[in-house]
Amino acid sequence: MTRSLRIAGLTLALSAPLLGAATASADDLSMWVRASAANAAPHLTDLWNASHPDKIKLTVIPDNQMVTKLATGVQANQVPDLISFDLIYMPDFMRAGFLIDLTDQMKADPNAAKVAKAFSDLATYEGKLYGTGFTPDVSVLVYNKDLFKQAGLDPNKPPTSVPQIHEFAKKIHALGPDTYGFYFSGSCPGCNIFTTSPMMVASGAKLLPPDAKTEPLQGDGVKGVLEQFHEMWAEGLVPKSAQADNGQNFVANFKQGKIGIQGAGGFLISDLKKDVPNMDFGIAVLPGMKDGEASAFVGGDVVAIPKGSAHEKVAREFIKWELTDEAQLEGLAKNNILPSRTDLADNKYFQADPRIITTAKAVGIGYVPWVFHFNDMVNSDSSPWIQMLQTAIFDGKVDEAIATAKAKMKEIASE
Amino acid sequence: MNAGGGTRRSRYAGLAYVAPALLFVAVFVLFPLGRLIHLSLTNASLLGGSRFVGIANYTKAFNDPVFWQALRFTIRYTIYITPILMGLGFVFALLTAAAHPLAKAARSAIFLPVVIGLGTSSLLWFWLLDEQVGLINRVLMDLGLIAHPLVWWVDADMGLWGVIISVTWKVVGFGTIIFVAAIQSIDPEIIDAAKIDGADYWQRVGRVLLPLATRSILLTTLVSAVGSMLAFDQFYIMTAGGPRSLTFTSVYWMYQNSFIYFKLGYGAALALILVVIIFVGATAQIVLTRKRSRQ
Repeated sequence: MTRSLRIAGLTLALSAPLLGAATASADDLSMWVRASAANAAPHLTDLWNASHPDKIKLTVIPDNQMVTKLATGVQANQVPDLISFDLIYMPDFMRAGFLIDLTDQMKADPNAAKVAKAFSDLATYEGKLYGTGFTPDVSVLVYNKDLFKQAGLDPNKPPTSVPQIHEFAKKIHALGPDTYGFYFSGSCPGCNIFTTSPMMVASGAKLLPPDAKTEPLQGDGVKGVLEQFHEMWAEGLVPKSAQADNGQNFVANFKQGKIGIQGAGGFLISDLKKDVPNMDFGIAVLPGMKDGEASAFVGGDVVAIPKGSAHEKVAREFIKWELTDEAQLEGLAKNNILPSRTDLADNKYFQADPRIITTAKAVGIGYVPWVFHFNDMVNSDSSPWIQMLQTAIFDGKVDEAIATAKAKMKEIASE
Repeated sequence: MNAGGGTRRSRYAGLAYVAPALLFVAVFVLFPLGRLIHLSLTNASLLGGSRFVGIANYTKAFNDPVFWQALRFTIRYTIYITPILMGLGFVFALLTAAAHPLAKAARSAIFLPVVIGLGTSSLLWFWLLDEQVGLINRVLMDLGLIAHPLVWWVDADMGLWGVIISVTWKVVGFGTIIFVAAIQSIDPEIIDAAKIDGADYWQRVGRVLLPLATRSILLTTLVSAVGSMLAFDQFYIMTAGGPRSLTFTSVYWMYQNSFIYFKLGYGAALALILVVIIFVGATAQIVLTRKRSRQ
């Protein structure tokens, strides 16, 4: 026994240099991930690292620096092997030639066809595919069931139209001056494209123009939703602080149990379970102006390979792997993160909480705008999108706000 | 002949002495400035691509209402905060210039925030002024000064004052230390002479300390005013340009165009316009200072 142990030890010692060589030959990949996805991404990369010789090292980049960092990185030829970023920047990055064409790989991969349409649509430019879903999120309606009960509302019947949100919000605010029916971050363009725009889209509106020829902000849904929001604001159903909230308190008020209803992301489910385990809350799809209308904004991150990646082959393998059942279920679903593949929305890990299934299914009905200049049109602090919301909701000048935003969006689209 | 050769030699020697400085200025100031001027004449995008567009970016700036609004706001911020920093700095200097241990401790306490990064202090004050968890609102409510928490960032004026309070806390120690040094460098005999002549405390401050510290005050004012004209971090963190783009500063608007809208060419033009404005302002201040010194 002792002798065989010695032989085994000797064999191991002699083979150590070879093992070392094998380890050294494996490539370590670098991956940039934006801060918003920094909680979700490690679940996937850790799983990959546990079973693959080529390890992935994550670097977290602040959300608002990702575009600048990638743009300057590409120009300086200092890019990571993989990059996970806000899907909304895909059109700009694809047009700029920052990303490697993955069309052949994606077409040959049966799993790629099962990825939510919003991702594949957005990752397509001139007929070519440049990325796929990585860590999705989707907007939903969240409501406080405890407040619903106190206000005499059925906690199992969430509002199914925007006017009904208004109606329920009145009843909830009647509970007390510090309890509010509804909340939205009034100075946060990104939060509102995520949660408010789907209500307009669900009502048939078309918001952002993909080119200069297309009319922006089409459809009655835009005006209808803005008017409802303005009325709720004017009636005091929304906290005053909402006007100045640039996203820092996007869900903070809801967590304190002071808000009845608000739009949020699927991420809030695990946040609420962890931070306020005693809160009884429900999840529903974001409604339109009429009963039965629903939509969502598919957000989250795509994964792509920047041009200049030093380990393109392994990076491609990772992208193929992250769409497998193993990665989608054991890396994402097991950790309460939505899978990119819609066929896995209803999976064994989500059975315990139907709210997650509702959220996962929202990915299938969700939309995402395919536009250049998304920052100019929507995401910046001075965008026509946020100016329209503020002028319409806080000043009550709905028609003027829409007309001004239309003109500005057209101007941006023509650049 | 000899004399001429000597002059030429000393001229070369002089050039050799200033060469490192000239090289430094050429590499780190003139070259980037030249690149900036070139960039401002193109439609360069952060995402790549660039085409010469002449003075189009400058024409666009002069027709850009947000540019003018940001410039007016920046000047307003500078006009408000500069006298506060100088006045408060001088008062603190008067109170702490003595060699007493307590004065030294007070000086250290006032100077301490200067070593904190502006980003950190802005974040600190952003939360201190928060309407829900902020300490300031809690204190004001407990003292009965306000009935409901103030939402500082909902109004451009309140947002401006929120930033001024935070920057004053952070920066006032810098002026204080300069002024303390200026006061301590004044010959005590002059002050004693003023005392013998019957000057009371405020007369000594107004007629002796202030005139003798003028150069330090003007220099600090210049540095402070230029710094305020270049304000960015504090507004980026505390107001994010809101509400409704009313608290964009010139540098913030330049950043917004260059890195959020990817318009590097336009951003470069905005930067150059700001450079010219600050250069003209600083030159005027220096000329006035010199005139006053001669008088």
